[in-house]
Amino acid sequence: MSAVIETDGLGKRYRRQWALTDCTLSVPAGHVVGLVGPNGAGKTTLLSLATGLLAPTAGTIAVLGGTPAAGPAQLARVGFLAQDAPVYAGLPVADHLKLGARLNPGWDAGLARGRVDRLDLDPGQKAGTLSGGQRAQLALTLAVAKRPELLLLDEPVASLDPLARREFLADLMEAVAEQDLSVVLSSHLVADLERVCDYLIVLVGSRVRVAGPVDELLAAHHLLSGPRRDPDKLPDGLEVISASHTDVQTTLLVRTSGPVLDPAWTMSEIGLEDLVLAYMSQAAGRRRRDSHHHLEVQK
Amino acid sequence: MIEFHLDARSGVAPYRQLIHQVRHALRLGLLREGDQLPKVKDVVAGLAINPNTVLKAYRELEYEGLAAARPGIGTFVTGTLDGGSLAAHGPLRRDLARWLARARRAGLDDESIEALFASTFRSASEEDIA
Amino acid sequence: MIWLTWRQFRVQALTAATALAAFAILLAATGPHLASLYAASGITGCHGGSCVAAPVAFLNQLQATSPYPIVYLLGIALILVAPAITGIFWGAPLIARELETRTFTLAWNQSITRTRWLVVKLTLTGLAAMAVIEALSLMYAWWADPIGKATGLGASTSVFNGGRFSSLIFATHGITPLGYAAFAFALGTAAGALIRRTVPAMAVTLAIFAAAQIAMPLGVRPHLIPPDRTIATIESVDLDFGSLTATVVPGQPGAWLISSGAINAAGQPVSNLPAACQAAFSGPKPSSPGPCLESRGYREAITYEPASRYWPLQWIETGIFLALALALAGFCFWWLGRRRT
Repeated sequence: MSAVIETDGLGKRYRRQWALTDCTLSVPAGHVVGLVGPNGAGKTTLLSLATGLLAPTAGTIAVLGGTPAAGPAQLARVGFLAQDAPVYAGLPVADHLKLGARLNPGWDAGLARGRVDRLDLDPGQKAGTLSGGQRAQLALTLAVAKRPELLLLDEPVASLDPLARREFLADLMEAVAEQDLSVVLSSHLVADLERVCDYLIVLVGSRVRVAGPVDELLAAHHLLSGPRRDPDKLPDGLEVISASHTDVQTTLLVRTSGPVLDPAWTMSEIGLEDLVLAYMSQAAGRRRRDSHHHLEVQK
Repeated sequence: MIEFHLDARSGVAPYRQLIHQVRHALRLGLLREGDQLPKVKDVVAGLAINPNTVLKAYRELEYEGLAAARPGIGTFVTGTLDGGSLAAHGPLRRDLARWLARARRAGLDDESIEALFASTFRSASEEDIA
Repeated sequence: MIWLTWRQFRVQALTAATALAAFAILLAATGPHLASLYAASGITGCHGGSCVAAPVAFLNQLQATSPYPIVYLLGIALILVAPAITGIFWGAPLIARELETRTFTLAWNQSITRTRWLVVKLTLTGLAAMAVIEALSLMYAWWADPIGKATGLGASTSVFNGGRFSSLIFATHGITPLGYAAFAFALGTAAGALIRRTVPAMAVTLAIFAAAQIAMPLGVRPHLIPPDRTIATIESVDLDFGSLTATVVPGQPGAWLISSGAINAAGQPVSNLPAACQAAFSGPKPSSPGPCLESRGYREAITYEPASRYWPLQWIETGIFLALALALAGFCFWWLGRRRT
């Protein structure tokens, strides 16, 4: 399967800060990809680069084999739903659909109308008076009815109540099943994405920390607990993501492809949320160490 | 047509849960040979899960010989599960009810009954394997 | 895209159409009577002395007849202010509103490029602005034509005192309104793109455009074509009462008198009446100090543009503003293409 998003050393800088650094990804098609990270990690930046709303400062990005926003054909293949689902407040729902029909040669009017009917949206209602969930659904309709190959969503459920969130995701999954879409959706909460994502990218502090299919990642990461070890004398050959020590016990989160043979360690599985949290704390720890190093050098 | 449900906190992978529910339905006679399994898009619309999860479950059922996909139409049940004839269920259920009554008369509470059953079941299974 | 431009522009378009219609009705209601007053004034077909008296009488009569002075001034004010209004309300929100409300994520992710989006929006809305303002100007020019003819013959009153070269009249007649409209609109759009917020962009557009509107007649217009200079006798220039400035350019009917001042026999500029000639001016029956100045060898130095330069100046000024508008539009395209935010 070809890659829907392919980046090589991709970076984006605003004034003096790098919002995205050295991002190299090859996201396969046919997945629902979860882009997870704390606020400010660079998720919106990565998605904006993929849609062509931003241009890279460094590196390259190819989406569906083409340059983002290079022309009408490329724009037709990628759908985007921005954070908080902006819509034209003064335009009624029906006019939004007309906008989609006029500006997209690939517009599926039947699909759009069907969705609006199913969602019980009043075509004459001004979009500014819709609820958050309804706005998100309208924006999703606009993105999906142009029949793209790839759908990018920036924190689509962050401001929705639990029911609206569930309905939105169910709706999205139905569209994925029907239209054979690839999806990338970002969130700062893993819980939102656990049900729907089968590929994960963790973005912390403008860098990609880990990326891969969810079941492979879960199979490759293990929680090891055993008698306390000296923090400097941890076993070689294990990629330690995070470690915590009490006076009697050491717990490690490791990434490994083979089994851990040392019988002193008890191995157990880890859930997606804990996995992501471990990578986030690893990144925070590195930042703290770096800033310490800077302070020492300054002395 | 059966309807799937998901226990997000059970620790069992979603696709496994779907497989279990199909097998359970087969055992109970809710699904018979020739019945259509729910369409992928309907399952994901109801559960808000990844379509690939459903596809993985259906593929595994196909591999086990319990279902077959007909492209463009859907996935259909092709096999049965040997759960013993349903006729055997009736007497077994009555025996179990009598045993439960005896356990209660002996003073066992719910937890003890479950623990007793689980450990006996486990050791009996191990004996079978060995 | 044309539909979308219209749909987003609907309210502004209807507002402009209503204003245009209301003004047209006002002009249509008062125009015919103005024309009949003019026909009765005897200005057409006048010759010699009557060509001085008739226009003055006509204008005086007009000034005393309501609502003509008000409509006259209203028209000028409207045409002066209209470009600023379209710049602020049509230009500034064009890009800024999309950025502010984040609807650009919707607009620029449909199957058309940003460039095409901007081309259609800029062109259609800009042309609409130019058309509306030029329509205002043409309607008004038709209505005020009699007044222009009267002032063209040198007559003036306190209200109707602008010849076609005067600051207010030059900018509201001919084709200059087109240039101002295009410039204000492009300025608004560029400000919106740069500042990214509608209200601050409106303020900046207003400030810059107003400055340009003031700077042009004061400092720039006189130099668009290097003016002619001449030295004339005091008598021939018909000194303005109580000053040393000329009121006509001798031998140049309809010319634009830019500046004038007296020079003494040695050729040095003089700003005050010499003491010797002040006697003629003060006293129970003041008379012109002209003969007194002449006898002392005083003359008048005049800077002017001949009447024939009216249309060249119109074209140059319009051309400058159109060029600025195009440059600002080009800036918008470049700014959008940079894709920084």
